[in-house]
Amino acid sequence: MKSNDVILQTATKVVLFIILAFSVFIFFNGHHEPGGGFIGGLMTASAIVLLMLAYDLEMVKRILPFDFKVVTAAGLLVAIGTGLGSFLFGVPFLSQTFDYFTFPVLGELELATALLFDIGVYLVVVGVTLTIIQTIGEDQ
Amino acid sequence: MSFQLIINLIIAVIWMFLNNAWTVSGLVSGYVIGLGILFLLRNFFPSRFYFIGVMAILKLIVIFLKELILSSFEVMGQIMQPKLNIQPGIFAMDIELKQEWEVTVLSCLITLTPGTLVVNVSPDNKTLYIHAMHLPDVEKAKRDIKNTFEKAIQGVSR
Repeated sequence: MKSNDVILQTATKVVLFIILAFSVFIFFNGHHEPGGGFIGGLMTASAIVLLMLAYDLEMVKRILPFDFKVVTAAGLLVAIGTGLGSFLFGVPFLSQTFDYFTFPVLGELELATALLFDIGVYLVVVGVTLTIIQTIGEDQ
Repeated sequence: MSFQLIINLIIAVIWMFLNNAWTVSGLVSGYVIGLGILFLLRNFFPSRFYFIGVMAILKLIVIFLKELILSSFEVMGQIMQPKLNIQPGIFAMDIELKQEWEVTVLSCLITLTPGTLVVNVSPDNKTLYIHAMHLPDVEKAKRDIKNTFEKAIQGVSR
């Protein structure tokens, strides 16, 4: 007899979005406060793992039809690309800079090129974690 | 309920737009004016005036806090006694709640009040299996839960 997971599933529907929002917050906070690409990626992966625990692998595959190996490759390409981008300005590999820009609604924001490298880290962490868990979790 | 809330928020934004005052006080005053307009036109909507639902949610929170404190003292009294004279037991309770979130909220409230614990839910979401620490009278325990939590949850979703 299959047990009834109604409580776990209903709680997951609410908690999942809170975890994802918090992981994005942590990701963007990494420059001046604790956080960054690695922990943000792990938190996003943990939210998806919670979805896998409450439902099953097939449903997660239907919701997120990505091949997570491709996500890992894309993250590595982004990281390498930010390193190669420094050659365009005639500075050493992986140099970084930042500047302050004023936007019409948001006001003054600090934009750093390290954020682009962090996006690469984020994608690699999400891709690797979910590839490992999906590979272990699938029945042969 | 949510449709009326969205209309109320739109009225609040329009109010700020007309006054050209993008402040919290402008939002609150616009919200109160929208509440008055919705109350005048409450028979226009198929569902009830939504602020009654908000009051029902607040009532549910108050009932939960009251039950939590009372049953905590009951469990404390059981712990303090030198001899245990409790009769634990598991009973099935039929519930009349339809939606999944109602079943979840009811189960969480039962579990969070000390002395009772939801062990399982039947596959058709119609029966809860509840473990009670002290169960001298099954019917009384069922009546207690029905009269407090289930009634309050039905008041929210009605």
